[in-house]
Amino acid sequence: MKFEVRNLSYSFGEKKVLKNITFEAADGEFLGLMGPNGSGKTTLLRCMTNYLQTPEERILIDGRPLQSMTPGELARTFAVVPQSSSTDFVFSAYDIVMMGRIPHMVSRIAGHRKSDVEIVRSAMEKTDTLKFASRPFFALSGGERQRVIIARAIAQQPQGLLLDEPTVYLDISGQLEVMDLIKKLNREEGISVVAVLHDVNLAARYCDRIALLSQGHLEAIGQPKEVLTPEIIQSVYGVDVVVRKDPFTDAVYVMPHSTAPVLHKHGTHVHLLCGGGTGGPVMKALLDQGFAVTAGVINVLDSDFENANDLHIATVAEVPFAPISESAHGENLRLIGESSAVVVTPFPVGPGNIRNLDAAMLAVRSGKTVFVMEHDPRVDIDFVGGKADASIKELINSGAVLVRDLKELLSRLSKGGSG
Amino acid sequence: MVWLRSSTAGGVSAEYQRIVRRRILILSALPVVLFVSTLIATFIGTTGPIGPGVKTATGEVQRISFGDAIDAIFHGHGDWPFDYHAIFWTQRIPRVLLAVLVGAGLACAGTAMQAVFRNPMADPFIVGVSSGASLGAVAATLSGLAAFAVVGTILTPLLAFCTALLTVFAVYYLGTVKGRVYVDTLLLSGVAMAAFLGAIVSFLIYFARQEFHRVIFWLLGSLSMQSWTADAIVGLTVGVGVLVIFLYSRDLNALLLGEETAHNLGADPEALKTLMLIVAAVMTSAAVAFTGVIGFIGLIIPHMMRIVVGADHRVLVPSATLAGAVFLVWADAIARTVIAPNTLPVGVVTAICGGPFFLYLLRRSRVEGDKG
Repeated sequence: MKFEVRNLSYSFGEKKVLKNITFEAADGEFLGLMGPNGSGKTTLLRCMTNYLQTPEERILIDGRPLQSMTPGELARTFAVVPQSSSTDFVFSAYDIVMMGRIPHMVSRIAGHRKSDVEIVRSAMEKTDTLKFASRPFFALSGGERQRVIIARAIAQQPQGLLLDEPTVYLDISGQLEVMDLIKKLNREEGISVVAVLHDVNLAARYCDRIALLSQGHLEAIGQPKEVLTPEIIQSVYGVDVVVRKDPFTDAVYVMPHSTAPVLHKHGTHVHLLCGGGTGGPVMKALLDQGFAVTAGVINVLDSDFENANDLHIATVAEVPFAPISESAHGENLRLIGESSAVVVTPFPVGPGNIRNLDAAMLAVRSGKTVFVMEHDPRVDIDFVGGKADASIKELINSGAVLVRDLKELLSRLSKGGSG
Repeated sequence: MVWLRSSTAGGVSAEYQRIVRRRILILSALPVVLFVSTLIATFIGTTGPIGPGVKTATGEVQRISFGDAIDAIFHGHGDWPFDYHAIFWTQRIPRVLLAVLVGAGLACAGTAMQAVFRNPMADPFIVGVSSGASLGAVAATLSGLAAFAVVGTILTPLLAFCTALLTVFAVYYLGTVKGRVYVDTLLLSGVAMAAFLGAIVSFLIYFARQEFHRVIFWLLGSLSMQSWTADAIVGLTVGVGVLVIFLYSRDLNALLLGEETAHNLGADPEALKTLMLIVAAVMTSAAVAFTGVIGFIGLIIPHMMRIVVGADHRVLVPSATLAGAVFLVWADAIARTVIAPNTLPVGVVTAICGGPFFLYLLRRSRVEGDKG
């Protein structure tokens, strides 16, 4: 089933909710509709279901205008799954699924036919809801209820499925359960899916394409990796994010940064000696406290290198898998020289990066304040046969300050900064 | 019962089949119960054979025997101080029939209203039928026109019917914005309208004086205005109304999950709400026009039957219709005999029986709901 939306605008009274929206959802596609609260995504979906009536030929299904179809025809063409369903009246799960056969009823007097019963049964099998067929709908959990509603949608035998934030009230397992089910219907039965989704990462993982709405217009449409860029997300949601690739699914995923503004940007310079991802939380915390942060020496591809990049932190980088070169070491020492404090994170030390500890030693000897963050004793960070542990001990003996954790580091730094 | 047979073919689970079997049992038993109830109720009355009997001048209590009663019904003679043949054919039978029709109509309309308002506390009077009808009936009575023999018997119901429908249309108009019926606005308009018209009725009653008793009797609801004409008119409206509501029972099911869901299942909610409001209003107005305001049936019968047979309207609509008929037949039988030789307004009986029973059901379902 193909959906075409052509230059659609919609207003509630004076308020324009949708402005000139044009896009297409192709047959068999899984399209996500996204956008901040109030961006008009639910309104758009309601226009597409004809619950909100749109003027003229703005929305077409397989080339036919929505308005030319009867409610029954529409319900046989696509099914709708709302955010949540509830009722004060006692219906069994089976009764609810059987309602999916309403658009197919032949006469008002006759009951359900054998075929209806078979269709309902198979829909309940596919959604694994048959086991609670006779239980009252209201007594089911949120995830079970949503599966029953999807079973009802399947019983409608639709060519398309429209969903309005189907997982918003579900816990994480319920979310995946429901999304996997929808994806399966999309892949195996070729049912086209248009889903309003709230969760960026869920959308990135399941959608073929994403249409991003912002204040009633279509900001971007395309594959998740094209739409979910830090720039677009910043402009639509006003949030700084980092976009990475999920190592297992290859889908992009989005991590938000804190939106709280830095209270006081004093710019006291702290240089980090880090690696292996140990520097990330320290970089973020220091930036949030208003420090100016640099880091070194980190190999390109090291997760701390990506962290520093995402946070726009100047780093001394070394080519992948190479030991720290003379020039990188020199640059590192230069940054240490400019800084007012040096922090040594508990990074794994190997033959390649042990020069970072040498740099720390030089810093202590030159009278810099050096903080050494204690490492978890259960985790071995010494990969150079005890040399690293010995160096750290020597650092502390020579006057470096040992701090237990990030919290202690921050409190010591802020005391040092003011004093 | 085609619609039921097919629902048993499910074979979904043993438990579901048990539920369906119970529904079928109840639904098949109800017509039998109704038939037996009407049969018994026609023999209940002051003149017997079942009832308190008539006191003669000598202080002796006379009561017709079953044999004599049947003889009198079919042959029309016997040496009794009253014409049992006439009592039976012009009063008892049309009255029991009116009870059947009005009970059925109110219960069925109540079922439809509860679905439209998606609220188990809604009843057929919710959109102002009762207050509208009361105003018409009280006005007819107080204007003195009701005293004229021919005009009076037709005028009160006619005026009550018209004012009831007018009120419903006013409430409907107030609750509709740009062709869309907003049930919450409708509900509040109904409540406000009922309060307003109720105040006018109270004002009129205050000046009623000697008509006071008649007005109150009407306001409490009574089947004493029975006639074959009333039976025919109420029978026609209720018959058509029940049929229409039954034909839309699957759409009503969908409506209970919300208007948007109903729309998405192909049941046009705006058309459905308007149709149900019209059908229920006409049915209720016709019933109320001849009997006054008989409360509680339209509220508790659908509610009670929903607890017994579930919320599926394909079973609920016929069950509630039949149960409403049975309930009013018995309530009227009690009203006719309990303070003989006087009769009690039947609305008093329905409220006295219905209220506590309703509370009991509510309490029980709440307790069971907590357990489950």
